[in-house]
Amino acid sequence: MFDGFNYTVRGESHIASGKVCQDWSDFQSYENYAVAVVADGHGSKKHFRSDVGSKLAVKVTLKTINNFYHNANEFEKSFVKNPKSVITKIQKYIISYWNKEVSWYHRSNPVTDDEKKAFTEDELKAIRMESIYGTTLIAVVIGKDFSFGLQIGDGSLVVLTDDCETEMPIDGDENPANLTASMCNSNAISMFNLFYTFNKPIAMFVSTDGLYTSFGSTDDFLDYHTIIAGQLDNIRDFKEVVLRNLTKRTKYGTQDDISFSCVFDTELINENLPAIRNQIQINNRRAAMRKAEHAARIKKMKAKQAMLRQQPEDEPSQN
Amino acid sequence: MNDEFEKSLDFDDDPLNAMGVSRKSLVIFFLIDTSGSMKGTKMGELNTAMEELMPEIRRVGEADTDVKVAVLTFATHLAWMYPEPISIEEFEWSRLSPSGITNMGAAFEELAIRLSRNSFLNSPSLSFAPVIFLMTDGYPSDDYKRGLKKLSENSWYRHGLKVALGIGKEANDDMLAEFTGTSDTVVHAYSGGQLAQLIKKIAVTSSQIGSKSMTLSDDTSGELSFEDVSESKQKQLGEQIQEIVNSQDYPKDIPFDSGW
Repeated sequence: MFDGFNYTVRGESHIASGKVCQDWSDFQSYENYAVAVVADGHGSKKHFRSDVGSKLAVKVTLKTINNFYHNANEFEKSFVKNPKSVITKIQKYIISYWNKEVSWYHRSNPVTDDEKKAFTEDELKAIRMESIYGTTLIAVVIGKDFSFGLQIGDGSLVVLTDDCETEMPIDGDENPANLTASMCNSNAISMFNLFYTFNKPIAMFVSTDGLYTSFGSTDDFLDYHTIIAGQLDNIRDFKEVVLRNLTKRTKYGTQDDISFSCVFDTELINENLPAIRNQIQINNRRAAMRKAEHAARIKKMKAKQAMLRQQPEDEPSQN
Repeated sequence: MNDEFEKSLDFDDDPLNAMGVSRKSLVIFFLIDTSGSMKGTKMGELNTAMEELMPEIRRVGEADTDVKVAVLTFATHLAWMYPEPISIEEFEWSRLSPSGITNMGAAFEELAIRLSRNSFLNSPSLSFAPVIFLMTDGYPSDDYKRGLKKLSENSWYRHGLKVALGIGKEANDDMLAEFTGTSDTVVHAYSGGQLAQLIKKIAVTSSQIGSKSMTLSDDTSGELSFEDVSESKQKQLGEQIQEIVNSQDYPKDIPFDSGW
């Protein structure tokens, strides 16, 4: 059996400036599989309906996965045969579906006079309709025989593996903050990243970049997921704790919207609970060691610099 | 928000409280020419100005940004003052000694390697494009264009806030403008007084602008794009630097090059 939960909290900076939340998230769990999805609308001036774009991205992703699982046996067979090709097919379907939904929404809701005020006529003409709805997207599917994920743009995908370690199987883009690939790019399909596994993950998590950027290190970020996994046996009560923590993270972190969605195998959680909690203790010890190592490194560097300062400054000039 | 709200988010039984929340962070890179021609007043003033600058940058970071500093010196050899960016609270300036030739191109290549999520910019909380401050008193001895080409392929550099300070009359403004991408953020110090003032004012100003929230003041709807933000910040820095240089307080003391 599978279960999950999701939360989206409005960014502190968006609250302060009266802007809508541009993130969206959801999850669905069924007998054979569960899906977790998050999307982060770009929010900048020309993407003035990215809140709609992110909502539509989450909706079409859930529907697409559901459609592919409609004939579960057939789908599972073709996935096992050629996982990459099946995931790419899903990505293409999502992009095409999202574009259709965006077009339909745009036709039904033409740009208002209020929205037009921000642009000159030429500026507005220069914006591609899809750009107005630009968003990132990350989705994970946890299944009985295999699990997979797909991602376009920034944000994080974390897997709690069967040996209770957390990992990020998709590398982040090498870009400064807020420079990201998008569903609205004309070559969006080539910008997707994917991952799959035939091992049995215990849990899978997706989050928008507002969460990752509230951490000082990737290790801390990964350890956070293990702590959450350690409470998934009592998720009904623990959900509220997660919500409070996300709210705190946007307030004291980068102040961005945060979306977090998680799916897990309830049996594997219960089976592995002692091992997960043991892993949390190991992570705590590792974190303490990292902290001590950092302090020692700084001390050593300072001592070295102090020693260099003692040396005479005069050396021959050559330039 | 008030303290009560803050308290309402903290619970003793909350296991997630063990994971701290990081503030937004900014890395300031100083690229400093330590070739032999910097010997004497230039290096003396630079060392003193940098020592005095650190507490001022610390104040920039106090608000809501975690400021880190990385210093790369270039002469015949390259050297990082510390092997990784150091939090401004922990940073201590180490006085530099000049010698050798000006391998600036090699410094650009080294910077291009370090401006990466896999290297110096690996902190998740890194929210701002870096500030990159180049100081030199002469023309590069090596093929700087090759280094600059590599650097300009790096998106952190492209979106970073770049400023260059030419020290003395030998520094070449055109070459420095190639580094910054605009002549507005290239300045010249011809004397010790000017050097000290420019280092401090420019470093503080660029850190303040660099650590400004992504959402710039905009009376239209929505935020500006990242490209808009970096362009706008670079422009803003250029304007402020020109104000500093043209201000009445700008020292007009004895030039470095007289009597050298």
